[in-house]
Amino acid sequence: MTEWQTQSRIPLKHFYTNEDVRNLDYQESLSDPGSFPFTRGRRLDLHPGAAWIQRELSGEGDPLTSNAQFKYLLAMGQTGLDVIGDTPSVGLIDPDHPFAKYTVGNQGVSICCLQDYRDLHKDIPLDKITISYSLPASFAAAGLYLIAQENGISPSKLRGSVIQGPLYGEDCGYAVHLPISLRLRMSSNCVEFCSKEMPKYHHFVEDTYYFSEAGLDSIEEMALGFVEIRCIIRDLLNRGVNIDSFAPRIAILINCRMDFFEEIAKVRATRRLFSRMIKEEYGAKDPRSWAVVITCHTSGLSLTAQQPVNNIVRGAIESLALAIAGVQAIEISAFDEAYRTPSPESHFIALRTQQIIQSESNVTKVMDPLGGSYYVEALTDEIEKRIWEMVLKIEAMGDPAHLSEKGIFRSIFTNAMERYAKEIKEKKLLKVGVNIYEIPEEKDTLLKEVAERKIEPYLDRIEKIKEFKKSRDQKKLKQVLEGCYQKAKDKDENLMYPIIKATEGGGTMGEIAGVMRMAYGFDYDPYGMIKSPI
Amino acid sequence: MEKIRVLMAVLGLDQHEVGAISVSRALRDAGMEVIYLGRFNLPPKILKTALEEDVDIIGLSCHSWEFLYYISDLVQLLKDHNAKIPIIVGGSLLTHKDIKLLLEKGVAAAFGASTPAEEIIRHIKSIVENQ
Repeated sequence: MTEWQTQSRIPLKHFYTNEDVRNLDYQESLSDPGSFPFTRGRRLDLHPGAAWIQRELSGEGDPLTSNAQFKYLLAMGQTGLDVIGDTPSVGLIDPDHPFAKYTVGNQGVSICCLQDYRDLHKDIPLDKITISYSLPASFAAAGLYLIAQENGISPSKLRGSVIQGPLYGEDCGYAVHLPISLRLRMSSNCVEFCSKEMPKYHHFVEDTYYFSEAGLDSIEEMALGFVEIRCIIRDLLNRGVNIDSFAPRIAILINCRMDFFEEIAKVRATRRLFSRMIKEEYGAKDPRSWAVVITCHTSGLSLTAQQPVNNIVRGAIESLALAIAGVQAIEISAFDEAYRTPSPESHFIALRTQQIIQSESNVTKVMDPLGGSYYVEALTDEIEKRIWEMVLKIEAMGDPAHLSEKGIFRSIFTNAMERYAKEIKEKKLLKVGVNIYEIPEEKDTLLKEVAERKIEPYLDRIEKIKEFKKSRDQKKLKQVLEGCYQKAKDKDENLMYPIIKATEGGGTMGEIAGVMRMAYGFDYDPYGMIKSPI
Repeated sequence: MEKIRVLMAVLGLDQHEVGAISVSRALRDAGMEVIYLGRFNLPPKILKTALEEDVDIIGLSCHSWEFLYYISDLVQLLKDHNAKIPIIVGGSLLTHKDIKLLLEKGVAAAFGASTPAEEIIRHIKSIVENQ
């Protein structure tokens, strides 16, 4: 920043003193790691260096191609998996849909049926490796549940996570064309189901990463994150679900930009805010409910298409901040992020960056090493205050589900993107290679070719899915899809059971979502191109 | 001079819309009329709307590789209907090579990352004037 402020526009002094932390009470505001209010860390870890899960974003082509990617990453020392669906999969349409053609498998894995889940997880020890899915949550949880059972693994042993994003997905690249009431119900049903059947599974990940990539600052990111968490919690409580049955498995997947201390302070403020909210406002009694898991993706928006090699440095700085902040998992947005999902080369560099920080820098030996810093404590307080003010301001405007329908959030995202572009244009936010230290296009060659390499759509996959659809027991299929339709009409039913049954009976994500859409009075196909099978 | 009429659309399943909205606002501020088609469009719909709305130029915002395929389809469709409407393409993921390829395919102009709005406006005016 060229102005004396943080990236979130918090004014800065030239230095901080004990006057700035005058009101800081150690027990009240900080306490030891692992103690309420968890500012300094989720738990007291005697081996802090080994604590975070290292995973890089994967998912490309068909499920078997992505499975090979999994194995490559695990062989290089990755300690968890992180997979994203391609555009049709995250949008709940099947690869054989006419709209899907050129996006099958080239920006994530194409996945739609039970066999795909089998292929994706081939030879992966499901009870040992944690998998974070950026896929429609209810379907990913259903797929995992079924294949665990097939492999003789009790679902109660499953770890990993799914993202619940009912409020913002439609406006931020994950439109599934389902009404908000159904999206919210699916989130609550999934959380409730997993709490019972897959108790170790993180069924409630609040992903503030993807929507803040529109250009939101750290305050807006966390405020909207808390608004969504609170919206789902209220829905669950209204359904009579006990807070302590699911709160221990809430996690927040945050963004990490280049403002080093602000991002660290944000993590600390988030832990403190969450624990106070869940204990004091929602009455959680189980101490496990109070300490939220925080995982992270480093910011793709902070990376540049120009001089892609610089993105390696950005990833290192951002992940160092996260290691110091004490998060539970890190994914570095790879240097080719501006163009594509990660190449093997960028996977290698990103993973090695994490490993070097962990093994060589010694920063992780002491928990919360910045605790007590005049600056970081003052910034943590200020960020916490600003996040909470924004949460209350949004909630005062009305029910977040209605605000979502009215497009209130959409305008927040659009304005943030324009503000970000303006800050770069006016050089308020400096970006090396973009608005400072630029080089001529013809000299900008280092790693450029790797970054710009494109992935072709997997057209074969479309034919394969068409064949699969023909080969199914049509009578049984119709029966399970009818079942989904009927259960979706009854608002008291938990949709996870019919989704599991339909997936087992050969139904695909697109078909199951389509019949549920119909049950809510909408067209089977949001694009108006294909007919309902029931 | 009459207001320049621009059709603005995002192709296929590409969900990134902020670029299209942002450019649309800039064009409107520059005195143009923007017919905003939003996300989820295939070439036939773009052609149909362009003809119905009698636009001077079609603007496509691309943040997914779908443009590589759909642009050729759209150029062909316009030819088949004898519609001489120029196409411009913008998107942060467009590389130098992509821009060259798009121009070869018959696109009037293409813009990559960090192109100032003024440059896009200048190009649109000159393309439409020379039509």
